[in-house]
Amino acid sequence: MVVKFIGLYFNLTNVVMITVASLIVFIIAVIATRQLAMKPKGMQNFLEWIMDFVKSIINSTMDWKDGGRFHILGITLIMYIFVSNMLGLPFLIEFNGHEWWRSPTADPMVTMTLATTVIVLSHFYGVKLKGAKEYGKGFFTPLPFLFPLKIIEEFANNLTLGLRLYGNIYAGELLLSLLVGGLAHTGVIGAIAAVPVTMAWQAFSIFVGSIQAYLFTMLTMVYMSHKVSHDH
Amino acid sequence: MNLIAAAIAAGLAAVGAGIGNGLVVGRTVEGIGRQPEARGMLQTYMFIGIGLVEALPIIGVVVAFMVLGR
Repeated sequence: MVVKFIGLYFNLTNVVMITVASLIVFIIAVIATRQLAMKPKGMQNFLEWIMDFVKSIINSTMDWKDGGRFHILGITLIMYIFVSNMLGLPFLIEFNGHEWWRSPTADPMVTMTLATTVIVLSHFYGVKLKGAKEYGKGFFTPLPFLFPLKIIEEFANNLTLGLRLYGNIYAGELLLSLLVGGLAHTGVIGAIAAVPVTMAWQAFSIFVGSIQAYLFTMLTMVYMSHKVSHDH
Repeated sequence: MNLIAAAIAAGLAAVGAGIGNGLVVGRTVEGIGRQPEARGMLQTYMFIGIGLVEALPIIGVVVAFMVLGR
């Protein structure tokens, strides 16, 4: 639901859901870092596993001297996108014709914002770490006549990064609402048949949500390494 | 007309995803057959490949649903 406030348009559904996702990630992080011990147990184990996982993602794209500064960015991205993708699966609350509880990443605005943030950040770090002249020369590097293709590549990366996440999560949620709202209401056989199909689709949506979170983080690090690392 | 357009969009998206995913997973299975020790690495890259390949067909499915609603 879109409201206008001081000349700006706010999508209240997104505001609510992004706040919920941020709160959940914050609570997970705070619970996992209570009573830090050298031998981790319980939730601290889980967060250390996430940190090692993101470290392996960064290590596979650029060496740690260049990529170490993006460790926290990677952890934030993967936790936030994973939690956001999972939020819309248990239930979807609709009130007065507007959706109020759904995955925030089922809105193209949110995913395109994330993708654009990451791409602009990669350009910013390219200028900051390599200097403006090296950054400019990077556009003409393999062969100078590929310059328009490199420009198009930036926009294409941006679009596909955002729309891939949006399409996967939105299609999953749409099919879920069609199954529960449509198939389950067409008689007794429909209701009985809807149960295993919905369970299978829920499981597949959990799988797709985690794969997409991992893929977004991995592609972020790949695009970052194209701008930042030296040994191309 | 909307129904025909949505059906064509979804059908072509399914063909694209099927062929693309089939190539990626087929090569992965062949690679695992040649060298079973490389299974973890190949599996990782297979999931990345599937995520990349399925992006545009899923956008096609979203377009099909958008056209269906008009």
